[in-house]
Amino acid sequence: MTALIELHGLTKRYGDLTAIDDLTLDIEEGAVFGFIGPNGAGKTTTMRILTTLLRPTAGTARIAGHSVSDDPRAVRRAIGYMPDFFGVYEDMKVWEYLDFFAACYDVPTARRAGMIDDLLALVDLEPKRDAFVDTLSRGMKQRLCLARTLTHDPRVLILDEPASGLDPRARIEMRELLRALQDMGKTIFFSSHILSEVADICTSIGIIEHGRLVASGSVAAMLSGLRAHRTVAVRLLPGAADLAEVAAWLRGQPGVVAVSGPRTDAPPADGHADGHADGHTLRLDFSGDDAALSALLAGMVSRGLPVVAFGEEQGDLEDVFMHLTRGPGT
Amino acid sequence: MSAWLSNPVAIKELRGRMRGRRAFVVLTLYLLALSGIVTFTYLIYSASAAIPGSTNARTTGKALFAAILAVQVFLVAFIGPAFTAGAISGERERQTYDLLRTTLLPAESFVRGKLISALSYVFLLVLVSIPLQSIAFLLGGLSAVELIVSQVLILVAAVTYALYGLWCSAAMRSTLAATVATFAGMLFLLFGIPLIGGAAALFLNLWFATAGSGGGPLTETLALYAGFISAATNLPATLLVSEALFIEENAIFATSQTIGSTRVWLPLPWPLFILFHLLVAYWLYRATVRRVRRVSDK
Repeated sequence: MTALIELHGLTKRYGDLTAIDDLTLDIEEGAVFGFIGPNGAGKTTTMRILTTLLRPTAGTARIAGHSVSDDPRAVRRAIGYMPDFFGVYEDMKVWEYLDFFAACYDVPTARRAGMIDDLLALVDLEPKRDAFVDTLSRGMKQRLCLARTLTHDPRVLILDEPASGLDPRARIEMRELLRALQDMGKTIFFSSHILSEVADICTSIGIIEHGRLVASGSVAAMLSGLRAHRTVAVRLLPGAADLAEVAAWLRGQPGVVAVSGPRTDAPPADGHADGHADGHTLRLDFSGDDAALSALLAGMVSRGLPVVAFGEEQGDLEDVFMHLTRGPGT
Repeated sequence: MSAWLSNPVAIKELRGRMRGRRAFVVLTLYLLALSGIVTFTYLIYSASAAIPGSTNARTTGKALFAAILAVQVFLVAFIGPAFTAGAISGERERQTYDLLRTTLLPAESFVRGKLISALSYVFLLVLVSIPLQSIAFLLGGLSAVELIVSQVLILVAAVTYALYGLWCSAAMRSTLAATVATFAGMLFLLFGIPLIGGAAALFLNLWFATAGSGGGPLTETLALYAGFISAATNLPATLLVSEALFIEENAIFATSQTIGSTRVWLPLPWPLFILFHLLVAYWLYRATVRRVRRVSDK
């Protein structure tokens, strides 16, 4: 795989303020890259440089081999950009909006009608073809804007907070749309504050804080790199075993580094326990491989321990984010 | 030419501007107002029952032409720039500017599109006034040269003033600031310069009178040139002075004056106006394109 987006030593300063500090990053073709970070971390500044709207103070940024500073026109041909805030024209119908931007991207007139129909089908706006753009809902406008970024069939999509301000349904629709674009082979570079969404669709992520890239890599690598050991939750049948004895036995098993619990979390106020929020679950820090984990479970069963549930807990992106970033004022 | 006609910005703007009843209502009201002005002027000048071809009818014809020309001057001096003053700053305020700047649309096409859309509507207003203007021909007193020169001047002024509004729009962050700057500039150009010129002429006359001489042939020649050149910066002054010289001196491009024993040739203000305004228009166009093309540092 070749890197389609390359940032090397990218720096942007506004007087004494450094918005981006020596950012180096390579994103491969076909990747869905989630760019996450707190507000003011430098995400939008990076995207504005990538879209040729802003001049970097130092360093280089290249898209599809073209420098954003030296060959902005070639970069614009290769990208589709959706900013976090964007306006729409009044007195303009949905098809006219796409036709206008297609013309701005030099798409020949003869090709536009078919292309507009295809794009409207993709973003599920066919029934709104003749509606005025300013009458669309926020979610529809976001989808239309995404369709606009595709009028010239770019290789790279740069999307700044594509799901911000959307209701849950519109957010899910947007996520499905991004998946469809990924299947079409587009390389997607997008920023988001919604970490579960990033984890859902991204193949790789970058975390930026105070203008510096604090981590980047595949989502799986980031999650596994967060902890030194695996965490395994073991739930036993309530009242059927002495948890202190079980914990003591587990501590003596190969691969078990530490045992914590039982959990004593109070059930939620609505009275619906989630199945874990009881006093019968132990958590193990486990350093062994899958075979060792399987042997541990077999040992528990053969010893007659009443195991109700046995599973490895996955950390989520929020854990990674909180672990790597320090929050404002630090 | 086809590039101009297929300009996406121009098509979008014209489509929006001509959609619905608004454009046609404005056009109808404009023609009604113009008809009212023409009728009012005609009634005043033809109170003595003018006969076509007579002196009275010719005067009425000239008055009608002047009235419509005054409306055209107002249109190109204020309506055209009003359209362009919000053309670029409006894109910024609407948050559509960045979307356009990341497309392949060249800055030149963007500026030309905005200019074409603003001028098209102004030219439409000028065009629909031609049937009313033709009444002046029926009454006589109007030569083809006067008509052609006046319409060329209106055309050149329209382009230059619209480009001035566009430049203000590109240079200022907000439409309000751009509109204020545009109207301030137009008011200064139309009224400020004649006032300053008039004051300067008055001061010079007083100074010459106090000094007890006309200032000599050289000073008089320079003052005459200065007067013609300053007239060429102002559309109404150019129209009035050129019209007067067409009639009184039968001059089209140049006239002569005898100062002392020397005959001095002077170009009429209208060719100077066209030359000067085309140069300014070109500079404004390039400056606006540079502003639009500039990659932001902030």
